[in-house]
Amino acid sequence: MSRIRTGRTVAGEREKHRRAEARRRSAGYFDYGLLFFIIFLVAFGLVMLYSTSSYVASVNYGDSAYYLKRQFAFALLGLGIMFIVSRVPYHFWYRFAFAVFAVSLLLNVMVLFVGQSSNGSQRWLAIGPIRFQPSELAKVSVIIFVSYIVSRAPRKMAKFSNVVKVFALMLPMIGLVAYSNLSTGIIVAGIVFILLFVASPKYKDFIAIILLAAAGAAVFLMTFSYRLERVKVWLHPESNPDKAYQTIQGLYAIGSGGLFGKGLGESLQKLSKVPEPQNDMIFSIICEELGLFGAICIILLFVLLIWRLMLIANNTQDLFGSLLVIGIMAHIALQVTLNIAVATNSMPNTGITLPFISYGGSSLLILLGEMGIALSVSRGIHLVDLNSELPRNKS
Amino acid sequence: MKKKDSARFNKSMKRKLVVVFAVIMLALIALIGRLAYIIIVSGSKYARQVLAQQTYDSRTIAYKRGDIVDTNGTVLATSEKVYNIILDAKVLNDDPDLLDPTLDALTKCFPQLDRTELQTYIQENPTSQYHKILENESADAVSAYQALQESGDADSESVWFEAAYVREYPYNSLAASLIGFTNSTGAGALGIESSYNDELTGTDGREYGYFGTDNNLEPTIIPAQDGDTVVSTIDANIQSIVEQKIAEFNAKYKDSAYEGDGTKHTAVIVMDPNSGEVLAMANYPAFDLNNPQDLSSVYTEDELSAMTDEEKQDAMNELWKNYCVSDTYEPGSTAKTFTLAAALDSGAITGNETYYCTGGLQVEDYFIKCSHTEGHGQLTVGEALAQSCNVALMDIALGMGKETFCKYQDIFNLGKTTGIDLPAEAGGLLYSEDEMNNVDLATNAFGQNFTVTMIQMASAFCSEINGGTYYWPHVVKELEDSSGNVVKQVEPVVMKETVSQETSDLLKQYMGMTVTEGTAQNLQIPGYSLGGKTGTAEKLPRDDEKYLVSFIGFAPLDDPKVCVYVVVDEVNQEDQAQSSLAVGLAREIFAEILPYMDIFPDHEATDAENQVQAQVDAESSQNTSTDTTTGTTSTDTTTGTGTDTITTGTGTTTGTGTTTTGTGTTTGTTGTGTTGTPTSGTAGTAGAATVSP
Repeated sequence: MSRIRTGRTVAGEREKHRRAEARRRSAGYFDYGLLFFIIFLVAFGLVMLYSTSSYVASVNYGDSAYYLKRQFAFALLGLGIMFIVSRVPYHFWYRFAFAVFAVSLLLNVMVLFVGQSSNGSQRWLAIGPIRFQPSELAKVSVIIFVSYIVSRAPRKMAKFSNVVKVFALMLPMIGLVAYSNLSTGIIVAGIVFILLFVASPKYKDFIAIILLAAAGAAVFLMTFSYRLERVKVWLHPESNPDKAYQTIQGLYAIGSGGLFGKGLGESLQKLSKVPEPQNDMIFSIICEELGLFGAICIILLFVLLIWRLMLIANNTQDLFGSLLVIGIMAHIALQVTLNIAVATNSMPNTGITLPFISYGGSSLLILLGEMGIALSVSRGIHLVDLNSELPRNKS
Repeated sequence: MKKKDSARFNKSMKRKLVVVFAVIMLALIALIGRLAYIIIVSGSKYARQVLAQQTYDSRTIAYKRGDIVDTNGTVLATSEKVYNIILDAKVLNDDPDLLDPTLDALTKCFPQLDRTELQTYIQENPTSQYHKILENESADAVSAYQALQESGDADSESVWFEAAYVREYPYNSLAASLIGFTNSTGAGALGIESSYNDELTGTDGREYGYFGTDNNLEPTIIPAQDGDTVVSTIDANIQSIVEQKIAEFNAKYKDSAYEGDGTKHTAVIVMDPNSGEVLAMANYPAFDLNNPQDLSSVYTEDELSAMTDEEKQDAMNELWKNYCVSDTYEPGSTAKTFTLAAALDSGAITGNETYYCTGGLQVEDYFIKCSHTEGHGQLTVGEALAQSCNVALMDIALGMGKETFCKYQDIFNLGKTTGIDLPAEAGGLLYSEDEMNNVDLATNAFGQNFTVTMIQMASAFCSEINGGTYYWPHVVKELEDSSGNVVKQVEPVVMKETVSQETSDLLKQYMGMTVTEGTAQNLQIPGYSLGGKTGTAEKLPRDDEKYLVSFIGFAPLDDPKVCVYVVVDEVNQEDQAQSSLAVGLAREIFAEILPYMDIFPDHEATDAENQVQAQVDAESSQNTSTDTTTGTTSTDTTTGTGTDTITTGTGTTTGTGTTTTGTGTTTGTTGTGTTGTPTSGTAGTAGAATVSP
């Protein structure tokens, strides 16, 4: 007990010192590059959302801007949250990591019992007129909590058994989320995996696990594939035109777009062929309208965002901040990769949204909140001022 | 110190982060490769697939183009619902038991279908889901098949009907270049169809299947929005009276001096001088709106076969042109009213002056002759107009000067477009004040050496007789949406004030004299007070002795309710310079439309008026008794097919006219054409004229 108290005091003094230092150099670093990519993605997302959803919206609600208006409101709210969170020193989350995780876990349990269902799954919690998906909250709470655990005792990560222990600690949450929403469960597990991989100095054990998982999946697919319809549909979409309907129509959209697409707003597939084109399948419609060229541009945009987050993680002074940003980076990277993989039928169909672009209020709010955390971490970066560093080193 | 290092993001971690980043990059590159693979290998196949499934459960619902109706609601242009019959071979092949009954039913309801041909198609294209087997079938034929479908005698899944619309013109050639027609894409190509295309056009609807959460097709329909109905100011009764008279006139002079049409052009505008509404606008030769490409009304078969496609296209464009707004010409003496109006209104003359005509006037190097080369002698201002004396008018114009003259040409909007709501309006050529010399001024004074269009003349003339208000000439008075609600009402638009009430009153008085004692005496109709001005314009080149004769007149004299402008271009006569021909045509029109418009005789018939009436009656009875062929041809008026129909006989032409319109009777024996529906009424009159002797 006493050791911990001492640790805290030392950490507190160090923190105080660093803050004073930062103020003295008036570093005030803020990652405007990241901010630019975020705003660009959100704006582009709104344009594509309107293009894909206007027809369905006018059919279902008699208002072609129905989805746009809602998403626009969420985007404004989200950007507001982002700016507030970016002003909150991120060590706030260190202190409340457990609380955040506990609340998130509680909400995810609650959703099983009192959740509202849509499209056949119970995923929404309603508080008055506001509905949100606690599984989205699970992502950010897991990022904060794992970062907290690891940065509390980073050297323990050198032992692989401890890595496994942390993962096991997260299993109830992963299982809970996966129960109501398998794809989000996969994302959460992926985030934990990447965080632990970066935190631990081990390579071989992780590679062994990946190989083991791959082999297991392969064996599973070869022996039980006939049992799992989802896998069957994935491997032979043409012979299952009913079940693979969404996948096939998405592929038609991508293929018919060609190199430069049919032009913004010109998609034919969004007219009733691709169900809910504003959601998971939005990337297919983007390919149809903007072509391979447009798709590469969007992927590049995400690459720049991920690269920017990596830079922040690399230059942050303390481990907790770095891990937070890595978790956020993992979240975005996983969702983008898996979303495009599903759209191109490179993996079985699971509902994963494209960050910032797909329709969905909870997802956008959480993403922009995470961006706020990343921006807050970026404020802690000290620009290396050679003129002031050198004389001090001499002394 | 150790602790501090370990709480930092150390080098090992940085390296691992790079590994993560690299793996992400590799995954994204692989996905881009996968995208490119899909696009390159299956792109064109998928593109076809997208289009192929589009027709299957996403169908367009055609909108109905708005009607064009006349001022009384008579339909001049409408869109008839027809059906395309679509065969779904795939559905038919799924259940072979249905094949025979379905083919039986199809060939029974649509005898023009070939059973073996259908069978081969179904065999050879077993997966075809959209094969148009018939186009533009009537609702009757379709409902017969649908009855069989309902009773179970035919399969209801494999054959379906796609509604479309075809444009129809119930009165064929009536007001052809005014109404216009639609081209193959359904857009208006001429006349009101063109100038009100946006209003007539609606929006297509859509019927499609939306895949709901249970992956089942939920049919949804966005209904089509039909186009607006355009209500014209045209009165189909007046229009058909005018066209009938024009056709009779042309039939009368056909082949008289040389082989060919009665006139090069005959055109008439009937206008309401108190609102600018055009009540009728007709020109000869006409064409059939239901078959606008047909040139047989103006060319013989031999001529047609000798023409190149380009020549045919030119000929069609010439035929379709609306002479009343698109052709410019030198107006001749009808323009004297404007010269006089300018002089009176500007105060250059008071109306009490006298002039002396010796048969011509020396203006600088030119001796300009009067219409009456022996000279009119002493003339008052009114007599100068009534006798159409060039010398007096030249004196007046030279007296007021070119500045005033040009100013009034501008006030009367001569040589400039009026902005009428019809396409392809022409302007005209005027001398500018700077260019004009005294010879130009002198010839301009009696309507030569500048060009105008008929609609300019009629609009300006209306302002002269209504007290000086220039109304915007227009042919549409209202727009109604598809459910009959008025969406726009066109109120009369005052463009400007041209002359004073006093000037207007004087002009009307002078133009009354033209009818009672001047050049338009054969206009007189017993009991009616009429006014007007004749015109005989020599066409360019002057040596050819080709003339455009015209008459513009109105009734009643004191309170004009209707204005009629007649232009006869190159009548088929040795001596073309007879304005009395235009006056005669105008009289025929006035005699029928005045009673129709509830304009009643305003005085006891004078001897002179009765004398003209007797003369006209004598002439017409002579015509019908001696020259039956002329009479027969005159029945072609409504269809406007002209020459070749003599052999087919009147009965047929009139008969078809009535059946297509499906209205009224052929009993219009009175010759007034004021009762019954427009075309049938006039067609009946024409028929009666032939049969009666």
